[in-house]
Amino acid sequence: MAPGANSEPKLSHTAAMILQAIHAGYVYGFSVMEMTGLPSGTVYPAMRRLERDELIRSHWEKQSIADAEQRPARKYYKLTAAGKSTLEASRKRYPLLERLIPSEEAKSV
Amino acid sequence: MTGLIALGFRAIDHGLLQGASLLVPARQRREWCREWYAEMWHVRQACAPGCGSPWRAERNVTAFCLGAFQDAWCLCRETQRNEVQSAPLHSSAGQCLFCLAAVLAVSYAFALLLPEVRAARDPLRYPVKSGLILLKDESPDSEAKPTIPFKQFRIWSAGKHRYFDGFAFYRISRQSVLAGAEEPSRWNVAESSSNLFALLGIPIRLARAEESLGGNSAEAILSYKVWKNEFGGDPGIIGSLISVGGVQTRIVGVAPERAWKLPGKPDAWLLKPDYAIPADAKGHVVAHLTHEGRSKMWADRVDVTVYNPDHTEQDFLGVAFDEQTPGPREIYWFSVLLALLALPAITSVSFGEFSVSSHKPPWPRRILRWAYLLAKLAVLLPIANFVSLDLAYGHASQHSSASEYAQLSVCFLICLFGIRWALLDQRQRCPVCLKRVVHPAQVGLASRTFLAWNGTELMCTGGHTLLHVPGLPTSWFATQRWLYLDASWDFLFVGPKAS
Repeated sequence: MAPGANSEPKLSHTAAMILQAIHAGYVYGFSVMEMTGLPSGTVYPAMRRLERDELIRSHWEKQSIADAEQRPARKYYKLTAAGKSTLEASRKRYPLLERLIPSEEAKSV
Repeated sequence: MTGLIALGFRAIDHGLLQGASLLVPARQRREWCREWYAEMWHVRQACAPGCGSPWRAERNVTAFCLGAFQDAWCLCRETQRNEVQSAPLHSSAGQCLFCLAAVLAVSYAFALLLPEVRAARDPLRYPVKSGLILLKDESPDSEAKPTIPFKQFRIWSAGKHRYFDGFAFYRISRQSVLAGAEEPSRWNVAESSSNLFALLGIPIRLARAEESLGGNSAEAILSYKVWKNEFGGDPGIIGSLISVGGVQTRIVGVAPERAWKLPGKPDAWLLKPDYAIPADAKGHVVAHLTHEGRSKMWADRVDVTVYNPDHTEQDFLGVAFDEQTPGPREIYWFSVLLALLALPAITSVSFGEFSVSSHKPPWPRRILRWAYLLAKLAVLLPIANFVSLDLAYGHASQHSSASEYAQLSVCFLICLFGIRWALLDQRQRCPVCLKRVVHPAQVGLASRTFLAWNGTELMCTGGHTLLHVPGLPTSWFATQRWLYLDASWDFLFVGPKAS
């Protein structure tokens, strides 16, 4: 097993917020900015670091969908399994996180 | 807001994103730009209806675009950090060859720029006519000192000889020369018998038929260096008059470059009739041997006994100056040979190709490794040649034996330690990626060498190999061995393997 694989990486509050926002369904950069209120210069580098650390992964939506809606194609982000477990750990560290950005399941309850 | 101003803002935003994209590595730039432009579209859409003032909307969009700089700057810093961590002093094979090539280029440039070096390495040096000897007094300190009086030369040249068929005389002195300029300059002038150049077989450059050599008035032949430096290489100076030691002298030609092989370094030769040279003036005598005379030569030398009219004998030594002295090229190859012979004394000549297992890298990789070694040697040897020439002949005004010894020593040392470095470097390069292995770790205890393994282990940062170097060579582990790492080691290394 790779060294350190069993230890969860500790995220900053900003990164945890972004992770929580993506988990909550704000799946592209601008929507994360809108939800968290963070500027683009903070959100995008943080998302790239999260992607580098394999906590989130990205994919481009199909061009046909974007064309149908007459807008540019978006790059969507999604939590990986590691991202989900890290988010769980972060929620314990930042208890207000879930209340700041409620997830879809929490909203539906 | 007018359409023109909006267009202006859009141009600014576009410029900002394009500017930020320049900070992103080229391979990622397109993807990043695409994302930024897509996101900017959403920012503009979101800001346009609800922001109240269109200025505020544009400000938000511009703020978003400025954020792209932070985004790109973060990537830049991360890339730089990774590069600093992964590319320390253990340079790649390409960098290593580049550095060697740069040294070669510099040394070659010096060899081209320094006229003395250019002259030394010129393979087409002017040949010396065979059978010529320089007669010297037998005293040991007469190496370059003129010792033979002109009257002696007159006696020899007037008589008939079995072993000689020609004599010429010259003596060098510093003389004041007025050659057009207001201020006279001091030249080394060789006063010589009129047949000197004919005997030496040196053709006179630019000599005209009407400017006859060997006439009754003093005639001067300029050295190539003086002709170039003092007269700018002007062919029109032939026939003009210069004042040498207060005597009007006609320039009749220019000596070819590097044709003079005799003692002294004349700036000009004054070809004088015999009566114009004082009888007691001491100088050098050049003689040309007959076929029979050449048969008496031994190791480019011949003993000459002269019977004087007063029945006394005088011994002279004739030394051939077309003797086969080694040139820079011969010295270079000799020093390369010496270095190769001395190499095993200072390092192991093993290439350290042994593997712990039967695994070997594929053929193309092995060929590449050998090609790298050959490339290093192919650059190193010319470096040794040019650096030794630059150092040995760069300061020397004349091709001397001291210069030759200097060339031999410098070339030998560069070859010896250069080849040693090439071998050491080769032994520490991963056979797969040619990067130097790093992070040496001492393993085992020196006191247990004969019971267990003891030595140093080094790792390839690409994750291809582990190098075991024994601390003390034993019969069962005499030389270094490579362990080729399989996929189970991958987790230790950042990024995919380069192979």
